[in-house]
Amino acid sequence: MSTRCCLYADSLTNDSKLTVPFPSEKLAWIAQRSLSPDPEPRKGGISKHVSVTDSILNVSWMADEARILRVSVSSFLDHLALVLETMEAFGPPSVSGLK
Amino acid sequence: MTIVIGFEGSANKIGVGIVRDGTVLANPRRTYITPAGQGFLPSETARHHRSCVLTVLKEALEEAGIQPEDVDCVAYTKGPGMGAPLVTVAIVARTVAQLWGKPLLGVNHCIGHIEMGRLVTGAANPTVLYVSGGNTQVIAYSKHRYRIFGETIDIAVGNCLDRFARVLKISNDPSPGYNIEQLAKRGTRFVELPYTVKGMDVSFSGILSYIEDMAERMVCTGECSPEDLCFSLQEVVFSMLVEITERAMAHCGSQEVLIVGGVGCNVRLQEMMEIMCKERGAKLFATDERFCIDNGAMIAQAGWEMFRSGQTTALEDSWVTQRFRTDEVEVTWRD
Repeated sequence: MSTRCCLYADSLTNDSKLTVPFPSEKLAWIAQRSLSPDPEPRKGGISKHVSVTDSILNVSWMADEARILRVSVSSFLDHLALVLETMEAFGPPSVSGLK
Repeated sequence: MTIVIGFEGSANKIGVGIVRDGTVLANPRRTYITPAGQGFLPSETARHHRSCVLTVLKEALEEAGIQPEDVDCVAYTKGPGMGAPLVTVAIVARTVAQLWGKPLLGVNHCIGHIEMGRLVTGAANPTVLYVSGGNTQVIAYSKHRYRIFGETIDIAVGNCLDRFARVLKISNDPSPGYNIEQLAKRGTRFVELPYTVKGMDVSFSGILSYIEDMAERMVCTGECSPEDLCFSLQEVVFSMLVEITERAMAHCGSQEVLIVGGVGCNVRLQEMMEIMCKERGAKLFATDERFCIDNGAMIAQAGWEMFRSGQTTALEDSWVTQRFRTDEVEVTWRD
């Protein structure tokens, strides 16, 4: 099964979308619940929405400026990588080779 | 039998500890050490934690000789602390809690120190001096809250010491405070510094500005050595801490003192506190560097107490916070 992510960004509106396929709906939801509780460190100028459809994690951003968007997307990708590594190390056997 | 795993990463230490009914089964830890003259920044600290948290977690499980199924609860530091490192560790805790199907528990870092201090020393109801790089508080338990009787009104005492170490380019390995302590032992001259106790509180930012200003000048002119400055700074700040601890003890009629937090490792602070305690006929309790310094087992221990008294944290409420007052938590596990 392909695990290709898609990241899309619009330089005019400073919006971005990310889709991350997971091996199962359960794992996608685990990722969603691990990645959504913390608010954005920045008080304003960025909003992020993390949701799940089937076994795909959807993330969408709206930002006032490109640099704010970059920072948020970049940290999200680091955190996502950490979730994937954790799943690989401690998840069910079907999860190996996620990254 | 209740086994709790605890994740701690609010500053530059990342630790994972496992506790079973009052016994520490494992407590591995890594420290992010920066070059001399530099402090640690949130994003780099978070990067350090990201790179080794899973290794430390595996070490903890191996050392304890347990499997994920054996764990009853996953505890992690909710706050206070540095934002980025806190988030990194919370993400791992949330993920393993869900993968293993275990309840999650957000723990207050300060209460982690207190509960581990109580467990290790057996102190019944002490006046607690919590001193570290990030916090300086005098705490006593009353009616289901750890109440703050005195605290710093600006920076923590450990922050004052660490930032002073940077001025003199003192090594951060194993920690700047430890190296200041070693240099202080060789100090021979006491240099007059501001003494800033404010009632039941203390202030350190003025002392830091003062000593930052004079350090270069005095060492260049040979008026005093770095050792003398380290010695003088310790004597002054520790005297202030002993004073506000004594004030709280008098207020509460307490006969026990417990020192927790990284600065609590300092033998000179313990000596000075012991002198005051002897004068009052009180008993001093302190832990060694395994538990003074931030560690995972203290979070596991506080989590153990909280879990057994019925607390858990729902995932949507598991956000971390840089500010988290010690008295915000309801201490449901004590009378």
